[in-house]
Amino acid sequence: MAAILPAAERVLKNRVGWYAAAVALICLLLVAQALPAVVNGETVTGSFPWIPSLQVELSFYGDGLSVMFGLIVSGIGILIMSYSNEYMSKREDLSRYYRYLLMFMGSMLGMVFSSNAIQLFVFWELTSITSFMLIGYWRNRPMSVYGATKSLLVTAGGGIFMLAGFLLLGIITGTFDIVTILQNGSMIALIKGHELFLPALVLIIIGAAAKSAQGPFYIWLPNAMEAPTPVSAFLHSATMVKAGIYLVARIHPIFSGTEAWFVLVGGLGIITMLAAGFLAFRQTDIKGILAYSTISQLAYMMAMYGYTSYQYPGIGVTAATFHLLNHATFKACLFLVAGIVAHETATRDITKMGGLRKELPATFIIGAIAALSMAGVPPLNGFLSKEMFYESSLEMGHILGGPFEYLIPAAAVLGGAFTFAYSIRFIDGIFLGKRRSEHLPKHMHEPTPVMLFPPALLAALVILIGIFPSAAVHYIIEPAASGILLEDVQLHVSLWHGFTAALLMTIITFIAGAALYARYGAIAAWQDRVSARYPAWSFNSLYDRIVNGASGKSTAFAKVMQPGPLSPYLIAMLLIFLLLSAVPVIMIAGTLIPTELNLEVPMYEAVLLGLIILASLGTAVLRKYLHAIIAVSAVGYLVSLVFIYLQAPDLAITQLLVETLATIIFLLVIIKVPQTFREKITRSVLARDLLISSAVSITVLILLLNASQGIVSPFESLSYYFIENSVPLAGGHNMVNVILVDFRGYDTLGEIVVLCLAGLGVYNLLKSRSDSK
Amino acid sequence: MTTLIAKTITKACVPIIILFSISLLLAGHNYPGGGFIGGVMFTSAISLLYIVFGLRYMDSLYRYQWEKWFAVGLLISTLTGIGAMAFRYSFLRSTYLTVSLPLLGDIKLLSTTFFDIGVYLVVTGSLLFVFKTMGEDE
Repeated sequence: MAAILPAAERVLKNRVGWYAAAVALICLLLVAQALPAVVNGETVTGSFPWIPSLQVELSFYGDGLSVMFGLIVSGIGILIMSYSNEYMSKREDLSRYYRYLLMFMGSMLGMVFSSNAIQLFVFWELTSITSFMLIGYWRNRPMSVYGATKSLLVTAGGGIFMLAGFLLLGIITGTFDIVTILQNGSMIALIKGHELFLPALVLIIIGAAAKSAQGPFYIWLPNAMEAPTPVSAFLHSATMVKAGIYLVARIHPIFSGTEAWFVLVGGLGIITMLAAGFLAFRQTDIKGILAYSTISQLAYMMAMYGYTSYQYPGIGVTAATFHLLNHATFKACLFLVAGIVAHETATRDITKMGGLRKELPATFIIGAIAALSMAGVPPLNGFLSKEMFYESSLEMGHILGGPFEYLIPAAAVLGGAFTFAYSIRFIDGIFLGKRRSEHLPKHMHEPTPVMLFPPALLAALVILIGIFPSAAVHYIIEPAASGILLEDVQLHVSLWHGFTAALLMTIITFIAGAALYARYGAIAAWQDRVSARYPAWSFNSLYDRIVNGASGKSTAFAKVMQPGPLSPYLIAMLLIFLLLSAVPVIMIAGTLIPTELNLEVPMYEAVLLGLIILASLGTAVLRKYLHAIIAVSAVGYLVSLVFIYLQAPDLAITQLLVETLATIIFLLVIIKVPQTFREKITRSVLARDLLISSAVSITVLILLLNASQGIVSPFESLSYYFIENSVPLAGGHNMVNVILVDFRGYDTLGEIVVLCLAGLGVYNLLKSRSDSK
Repeated sequence: MTTLIAKTITKACVPIIILFSISLLLAGHNYPGGGFIGGVMFTSAISLLYIVFGLRYMDSLYRYQWEKWFAVGLLISTLTGIGAMAFRYSFLRSTYLTVSLPLLGDIKLLSTTFFDIGVYLVVTGSLLFVFKTMGEDE
């Protein structure tokens, strides 16, 4: 099954949104196919060798966790793509839009089914890149570009840290296969005892936190709201931002059960939960509110996955996994509702809205269900997982003891109260209260079923999972939690299980949340005042300072490193050459000029060499560009003659053709410039150039003289290998070409990629120059 | 600036050069040649056309989109690599098959030929793309 996923990724060339939705449906069916096996506790695998010498394989692995993510990604993908049919204007570049979306979905699926760490990293960065393209979809809006750049810098940069962490894991265990590590208890014990344990953990958590907008890395998510709303619903609430959570869940068995894990993951989660919940108050953009709420909800999951101790490593795992599923349903629904509202009112500012329940009754009901679920109101699914969150917080506090016995549950309740307040704000600000007609269009109407159905379906799921949790728990949560904890998990979730401490906490949450909501405006105003007074006190301004500073620094750096005229580059190159070759030559060669020299030169060679020397002198002496170019080409052609004479036809042809092209380009260029050299060369410059060039030529001379005397003998010649193997292994008699396309095929592939990029680079340079004119 | 003689000779030579470049490409595995050299030779032929007849005139006949050539070439080369993976070999692993055909005798079918074709297209496409962009810049 997993083997078909890359194939599904390739089906990207599409025109219509329904087609994209169909692709998502196929993905969903493919993933669902693995469901029965996973429910029975089995796993699905498939693999291809990729870079066997580095033990990197393209291997896929599906367990409960992967399948749950696969279902969320493709299931919500279907809804998003069908919703987009109506949301995106027909005048937009739809093909690009859906291509990006499908590419994103493919990389996301590839990531959750990766069993190899390196492969996971590749797909991980692919999701960052596709997200970048989607956020910057409206590329002529400066804010989109800013948001896109920010998200790419933060998430892809975090990915690099993660890669470093994976490499450390690889060093410890000797394998990059996560599944091998997971299935091997002794390896996990080895990792936990290893001195590189903490660095590896910290690096990987940085990657996960950057992706899931945790801690100081949250700053990219609010700016990512510049993306089209369906994209935000898909990437920035339901799927991509959960990649970090996925990673934390995936590596949970390897790292959890240690204090470092609790402090890093749990601590980060709790702090982010409180900070983001609090900061949500001052948002006026409806998508901004949702962005901060997403950050805080993701932080819930982080905190729960972080709850761990030596005796009980996975206290919050089931709760976190359940909340993950629930969050995907209600948050995607909220975003889609926000999209409808913004579409109808042509604004996203919540202060200009109000009273929309009359015009948009169905949207109001759907939005209210989702928001109440987020607030944790029974009997919706958010209530269930929030209860579990409180239970696990109590348990964790109890295990830690001391002041934590109260602090952790209190933090959980406070986070819940913030959530309650901003959820109510979302409903109240948009739908309730008075209609402010001066800001809103006169006639608003419900959207068409195409746009209404996806959020309605999600809202229905919210209710269904809330009232009948057992099906979702049995088929999705239990396998997923088993996949994380590596043991069979049985769960009993129900709406009512007596008057427990968790229920008491919920009631406190509602009261505190309502109290907070009463002071909502005052708190927001206070936050605004603080941020206006200390504008430099935020991670955002830190980011801006770093990024803007970097561009200034790089300009200064470039002025030194790339001054423009050709001669400094040549001088630098030749000096480095001298350093790298003259020094070893003097060290290795005993005598500078060997005693036994073969000075017999055949007549042809002598004539050719004489001509080459003559032509090279000509390039240096001739005062007109045209003449100098002809002299340079003459050198080139004569060298190719030498190649023919030395029986290297491949080199000769290449040299001949490249020389021809170079001459043509030169001739094309000199039409535009004056025909004679203008600049006067001063005596000191001349002396410097003469010194450098003579030093270089003497070095080369000595090198060549010694080369025939066995200076290279410490190294065995590679050519014997190719001579022996080119026919049996690659079936070709032309060794040069066999090396190019077969033995060193990777190099050639890299080179042609560079060639393509160079072509595009030239195009962009010339294009931007002619645009700026 | 170009004379009738240059134009006539170009017209006669360009098809021959192109054929020669293709034969270089296909011969590459056993004799001098290969994707890179063939591509450069093809580029020379087309640039000869551009120089002798001028960019405007060539464009008025047909607007070539060389960037598509290198995109396709890169795709072919990469797919050759991935194709090996589909047969559960490592990326870019090559293979060959000897086939006996009537009249032509034994012929080796090489997977690397596809790779070479990709290289050829990339070289041609990117060089000509650069040429044309520079030429249009005026």
